[in-house]
Amino acid sequence: MFANDSAVFPHYQCVRDRFEGLGLDDLRDRQNLVDSGFLEQGITFTVYGDDDGTERIFPFDLIPRIIPDKEWQLIERGLTQRITALNLFLYDIYHEQKIIKDKVIPEDVVKTALHYRPEMLGVDVAKDIYVHICGSDLIRDGDGRYLVLEDNGRCPSGVSYLLENREAMKRAFPKTYQDSSVRAVDLYPDLLLKTLQHISPRSGQTPVCVLLTPGVYNSAYFEHTFLARKMGIEIVEGRDLIALDGYVYMRTTKGLVQVDVIYRRLDDDFLDPTVFRDDSVLGVPGLMDAYLRGNVALANAVGTGVADDKVTYAYVPDMIRYYLDQDPVLESVPTYLGWRDSDLDHMLHNMDSLVIKAANESGGYGMLMGPESTNSQRAEFADLIRNNPRNYIAQPVVSLSRHPTICDDHQIEGRHVDLRPFVLYGEDIEIIPGGLTRVALTKGSLVVNSSQGGGSKDTWVLNH
Amino acid sequence: MLSRVANNLYWLSRYLERAENLARLVNVNQLNSIEAGASGHDGDIWDAVLYATGTEEAYAKARSKAGDELSVGSYMTFSASNSDSIRQCIAQARENARMVRDQIPEEIWLELNSIHLFMRSKASENLWQRQTDELYRRVIRFCLIYGGLLESTTLHDEGWDFIQIGRYLERADKTSRILDMLSFYDTPDRNKLASALRSCSGSAAFRAEFRGDISIDNVASFLLFSPSFPRSVRFCLRQLDGVLHAISGMPNGSFSNEAERITGNLLAQMNFSNAQSIWDTGLHVYIDELQQKMNDIGQQVFETYVLLPSEINDIAYTGAWQAQQQQQ
Repeated sequence: MFANDSAVFPHYQCVRDRFEGLGLDDLRDRQNLVDSGFLEQGITFTVYGDDDGTERIFPFDLIPRIIPDKEWQLIERGLTQRITALNLFLYDIYHEQKIIKDKVIPEDVVKTALHYRPEMLGVDVAKDIYVHICGSDLIRDGDGRYLVLEDNGRCPSGVSYLLENREAMKRAFPKTYQDSSVRAVDLYPDLLLKTLQHISPRSGQTPVCVLLTPGVYNSAYFEHTFLARKMGIEIVEGRDLIALDGYVYMRTTKGLVQVDVIYRRLDDDFLDPTVFRDDSVLGVPGLMDAYLRGNVALANAVGTGVADDKVTYAYVPDMIRYYLDQDPVLESVPTYLGWRDSDLDHMLHNMDSLVIKAANESGGYGMLMGPESTNSQRAEFADLIRNNPRNYIAQPVVSLSRHPTICDDHQIEGRHVDLRPFVLYGEDIEIIPGGLTRVALTKGSLVVNSSQGGGSKDTWVLNH
Repeated sequence: MLSRVANNLYWLSRYLERAENLARLVNVNQLNSIEAGASGHDGDIWDAVLYATGTEEAYAKARSKAGDELSVGSYMTFSASNSDSIRQCIAQARENARMVRDQIPEEIWLELNSIHLFMRSKASENLWQRQTDELYRRVIRFCLIYGGLLESTTLHDEGWDFIQIGRYLERADKTSRILDMLSFYDTPDRNKLASALRSCSGSAAFRAEFRGDISIDNVASFLLFSPSFPRSVRFCLRQLDGVLHAISGMPNGSFSNEAERITGNLLAQMNFSNAQSIWDTGLHVYIDELQQKMNDIGQQVFETYVLLPSEINDIAYTGAWQAQQQQQ
């Protein structure tokens, strides 16, 4: 909101004026209105490992984050470039593996990725698209540049909060919203449905799309029902589906109905107990068989996890140059890889100034914030890294940009934020203007994940 | 529609109907026990309630755990160890609704979620301590709002049919249990008869139909056979018969599955019975058989519309589907 010399950016003037004119009571009233709205509507998430009162609302901050059109265009170009390269990469490593043969990416990095799926070798997925829905996390550094922090190419979540945050803001600040010329986001469910329909294996009829959820105890269950309802498709659990003779059907009161496209919000591991984890009860036995025969499409495809692996991440700029012959529009955060001996040394000697991350974890789990860590935590991570260097990376602590946020006692203070835009890859590449702005509500904290005490804001992309 | 969704809708409405009936039953008896307590005879009132809901043993266990402090009213209303307490019924209904949120109108979800949040809060216990009556009225009011919203905001399609099945099966079951309370006494007095009617919201309707002639014959005939009282067993079975045929598309008077056959058979029996048919077997045995048949109907609906034919005899499937939905 503020430039370095604490002048207000012009695109924030309107919002700033509005909030300055608000009394403390007024602010509190509006906050309560929004919070109780979320609770009553059951817009909640579940925290794992918390036995007591398992549903919580995702804290919402009233001050919107604003992105002017020019900045947004850059982000759009950067993300389009990125998802294109990631998809070409996935196609390549499951086919000719040219990028390995040309020694741009070491074979080991690909083959040892936890989510690399040899089952997919030589398989042609519908329209050659692997990542249909991508949520890349962006941050801004001290110079105001947007950097990509990570890609989520498996089952990115959060888009329902983005949409609900917008509804909440429209209710709480109708006038300010109206005056600000903000681009709408509510077309997302339609675009998502189009993206799904695009990969249907059956033509000549409206494809039967379903959303596959792990079930009501999953932390993102609200989002699953939300999206299914907005798209008008069925939300199914594994037990609602049955695979017979290479086709997938859903079980209805009128008998079995063939399914064309599954928007799965379930990791590969749980999709099919006969192929992946055999202790999983969430999936559908025989689903992979139907998928490999091309009788049912999955979004995202199986095996995309190799592209959002945190080690692969370090190679995305090289991928962009290799496949597209372009320079990356959005830069990445410098990354040290545990499996490179020189990097490993650097990691182990500079733990107190680095962020250490497990390559395959998400949600803020399995990471160490060096500057805030204790000696024993560092020792614990050093052991973890030495035992499995491939599984760890390190990045310098990037000071996430801060954004005015309403804190305890309704004081407005700066808090660190990131941005997760959602990219859809169907017939075209579509990015809804904005994204989920997550904010670390604890002072000084850089961890924005909802499971770790983060909140969110509405994100306004302006028309000008 | 998805079989699982049909199953969830069925249980959603079943649990809410159960909560409503319990709220009425406990409230009426709470008031009676105040009356009787004044003369020192409130004990058997609660024994009859436990008998009717089949919770005598479970209550005794919960009570000894809680150190004799647990009243029947509190047990029926809040107890976590009673899976059929009002609080638990609403929580279960809400859980089923949550699983099919995309299928039910927003208003219903909002109302249900709000009564759930209230019932599981301390505020509901405080209200119960202060104004017991008011708490039950609130639950009943919510259930009536739910019924109204259902009637006027949902599509009357297949999902609605499954909601009706849950509602009428549960209602018939509860009415028969309340009537069964009377068989707990050798000769139920006028107060007991009146209280059974009140527990079914049927006092005024009964007076209109029998000109106030309150006797065990008349009360039993009314609760079982009344053609027009919406909580009588016969009325519920007639509705059930209608929705089952709406789902299958079969003409009335015929059947295409066991649920339809048993329902039609039972309905015909109810259509052509009078008080004498009850006394031929005795009230308790009569109701026992009735309840057994209604359980069969529920099981047959489940086997017809939720399970695949190959799964019916497979205990693993049946178990998995019913894991969260303990049967009566």
